[in-house]
Amino acid sequence: MGGLVYRMERVGYAYPQRPARFSLDLDSLEIPEGGILALVGPNGAGKTTLLMLLAFLLRPGRGRLEFLGRDPWTTDDAAVLARRDAVLLTHHPYLFKGTIAANVAFGLRIRKLANPEIGARVDDALALVELDGWGGRSVAGLSAGQAQRTAIARALALRPRVLLLDEPTANLDAALGLRMEAVLREAGREWGTTVVFSTHNFSQASRLADSILYLSEGRRVEFSHENCFSGTASTDGRTSWIEPKPGVRIVFPGEARGHVTCVIDPSEIRLVAADEGGALPPGPNVFRGRVSRMETTDPDTALVRTSGDLVFRATLPIHALETGRISLSRNVLLTFEPGSVRVVGERPAEARKPS
Amino acid sequence: MIARELAFAVWVSLKTSGLAALIASAVAVPVALFLSGRDFRGKKIVLLVNQTWMAAPTVVIGLLFYSLLSRNGPLGGLGLLYTQTAMTVGQIFLILPLVVGFSYTALRQVDRRARQTALTLGASRRQAGWIVLREARLPLLVAVLAGFARAISEVGVAMMLGGNIRNATRNITTSIALETAKGEFRNGVVLGILLLVITFGINILVQTGLRGRDGES
Repeated sequence: MGGLVYRMERVGYAYPQRPARFSLDLDSLEIPEGGILALVGPNGAGKTTLLMLLAFLLRPGRGRLEFLGRDPWTTDDAAVLARRDAVLLTHHPYLFKGTIAANVAFGLRIRKLANPEIGARVDDALALVELDGWGGRSVAGLSAGQAQRTAIARALALRPRVLLLDEPTANLDAALGLRMEAVLREAGREWGTTVVFSTHNFSQASRLADSILYLSEGRRVEFSHENCFSGTASTDGRTSWIEPKPGVRIVFPGEARGHVTCVIDPSEIRLVAADEGGALPPGPNVFRGRVSRMETTDPDTALVRTSGDLVFRATLPIHALETGRISLSRNVLLTFEPGSVRVVGERPAEARKPS
Repeated sequence: MIARELAFAVWVSLKTSGLAALIASAVAVPVALFLSGRDFRGKKIVLLVNQTWMAAPTVVIGLLFYSLLSRNGPLGGLGLLYTQTAMTVGQIFLILPLVVGFSYTALRQVDRRARQTALTLGASRRQAGWIVLREARLPLLVAVLAGFARAISEVGVAMMLGGNIRNATRNITTSIALETAKGEFRNGVVLGILLLVITFGINILVQTGLRGRDGES
């Protein structure tokens, strides 16, 4: 890895048409060369807006965004040159009318590469996305997955310095999605490409990325993801819940549908000693557990791991261990407010289209 | 009506209306590209004025330019009245709002992602503009052809600014008006059919040529 590709300081962006609805505000962000960064957050968190800023398709309303140590917005030409280093692949990619090969060659022709070089790169890129021999076909009538793969090939053919991907595997089936992940990882390794991608899929982020940026309502969300649970959300309109295990509900405020990933900060979990078999107090988010591990994270704080229906990690002051009679193998009750549950990933419940 | 006169009238129609369609399109398409790609204060008023202008009767446009180009008018010194140039200028102003309106609709229908995709793949703003035009080429062609059809089929501007002078400014539509006034309905109908065949033929030629080149169905 080399230096920094991006450096952002107090960058903000608000859409002029809808100022009251959404704005992105980031105190600071540094993205090292050759790294893979995942942007995770629910719909409307600001992932796509951040990608558009990183692709220089939106200009920050305030703050400073540096690309390779320079301000890319000094002139129109500087922005064009910066865009040639940082290619964005959108969630629903647009394919130009014509053939698959013409689409893949588009950026190469803009860069005025020689025809033999263009032909070789197009063939290589199509092979990477398993569309060998498809170059002569028209893009009309391609399935969503094939269109997505064509767009991935179009981006890979450029061998860009930075690849920005908005939910790159959203239109692909699970097996093909995994193969495309491998392709993207390999591209990063072979060409030293820095990859920034957005996803609702927490496990994809963990699997692919060197680092993860969590966004919520246009802001960076800082949390320890010790307590991370996923499941299909149900809602009654006021609150929603997931069942990480059948019959075990984690309740949070608001309306959510589809596959949801949520986290609870360990410091937000209350932990009290309890008798085995006693009745659970009423209310949401009350769980039984047994202390399975205890360790100190600093001179004043202990991290307690509990096992039970769900595995939780809670932090509490060391003195509270004694006063609360918390010890190894002790039965405990764990509670937390629905408002302490932070949704970090939300994928709509729509059926995936086959590729 | 002898064949030579008829051929000359057809030539005048094709020349004046073809030129009018080309010049109007050269102005209208960039205007439509600008309007479709930007949001600015007063844009709705611009579109409303364009729509109103689109519905202006040909005789009103003819009258306006007649008053400008007549000997006592502000542009009378140019000596353009009763020339093919005057007919072309009048037709340009007649079809300009139509081509702007149709081109605007065509360009609005091009997915906004087309421009964004071109930009992120390294195109400059100018190149991205060309890409948007290319993506909309078929509906844009329809806009140009609609302008041409409006110009070649109108009679008010040609009559008022051209004067229907034999072997000079007489075109198909003014010939039809003249033949009808003379009671020669058969000649009028033949000329009308000829007008339709010309328009139809141009449409077929251009659309076939474009589809063949792009391999589109």
